[in-house]
Amino acid sequence: MLQLLFWLSLDAALADTHAMSDDPIADLIQSVAAQDRAAFRQLYTEAGAKLMGVMVRMLGTRAEAEDALQEVFTRVWLRAGRYDATKGRGMTWLIALSRNHAIDRIRARPNHVSDDLALEAAADPAPRAETRLMAQGEARRINKCFDTLEPDRAQALRGAYLDGHSYSDLAARFDVPLNTMRTWLRRSLLKLRECMEA
Amino acid sequence: METPPPEDDDNLLAGEYVLGALDLAERATVEARLRSDTGLAAKVMAWENRLSDLNESFVPAALPDLMPKIEARLFPQAPTSATGPRGWWADLRLWGGVAVASIALVAYLAFTPPKPELTATLSIDQSTLQYTAVITSGRLTITRVAGEVPDAAHTRELWIIVGNDPPVSLGVIPASGETISLPGAAAGAMLAVTLEPPGGSPTGKPTGPIIAKGALAKA
Repeated sequence: MLQLLFWLSLDAALADTHAMSDDPIADLIQSVAAQDRAAFRQLYTEAGAKLMGVMVRMLGTRAEAEDALQEVFTRVWLRAGRYDATKGRGMTWLIALSRNHAIDRIRARPNHVSDDLALEAAADPAPRAETRLMAQGEARRINKCFDTLEPDRAQALRGAYLDGHSYSDLAARFDVPLNTMRTWLRRSLLKLRECMEA
Repeated sequence: METPPPEDDDNLLAGEYVLGALDLAERATVEARLRSDTGLAAKVMAWENRLSDLNESFVPAALPDLMPKIEARLFPQAPTSATGPRGWWADLRLWGGVAVASIALVAYLAFTPPKPELTATLSIDQSTLQYTAVITSGRLTITRVAGEVPDAAHTRELWIIVGNDPPVSLGVIPASGETISLPGAAAGAMLAVTLEPPGGSPTGKPTGPIIAKGALAKA
């Protein structure tokens, strides 16, 4: 009986703490870790469209994106306990989980280099959503830091992060040796970090 | 003026991993290390945060309602109505107080009995490999009790199969065994271990042979 009362008050206390946070997605993930299915549904409603956007962009088709999103939310339920709100924002964690799953799928495709290049050729004429957003004048620090990189390197970096391109994809795409591409991106990462921490 | 610290290879590796440019084998190597190397994990998280502004470039897409499928996989005995455990707790909280606590306790026991502990022994006839799995309070612990650790070219991945649904990955099993959160398990569900490439199945579905399996039963 006392134990039940203890759990009731603990549950209420936790709910109150969550209401105070400035990261509602993080709160939901923590509720999911406590096996709260209503929170799980709410998380799907609130974060799903963004994560679906990640999957569509990286995987290319809605059919595969849906399949991947289903897998991602299954993992969210099973792994929510590993999320630590003191280390990063909830949406950052969810997108990292989604990107990792998408990248694993892309890498597992047979001949993904040539498929990717074909997709790219078809998609290139229209300005990418990312380019449009940046044209709208986002003044985020990372964008300023991207401006310190040579344009082709910044483009390669975005290709890796946003489209899941591997070093070998990027080497083929930019027509440079694999090791050169690796050196480009490593140096660019260091430059970015330096700029962001300045 | 401070001299910058010598560049740390792990930091770059973490950056490359988060960037996503590594190939499958390199990613698998990083992911295997991440399971035990908290220093590397912290570096990965720092890069995730550093690059997170790029996430703004992902444009939200129309969201299909996949929740019924997801819930069917995770919660084989899910209630069909929206009233989950949360609803009960909320009601209980409203009643509150010592006077109704005994009623609440009876209601709790009657409608949401605590999950019994479950166990499974995983093996197949052709091999001496054996795992035991124990579920306590929604956490599954898997331990290798006989047989060899996998060779460097493979990893072992644990799956749960509920009824006729496709297997759901519970993750790669490190040589030392692992405890994972598994709130939705019920007796009768099958656990299986497959042989997979380093880092685990790249497709989200089993790609290698089953090397151990067993059904969950009440302890």
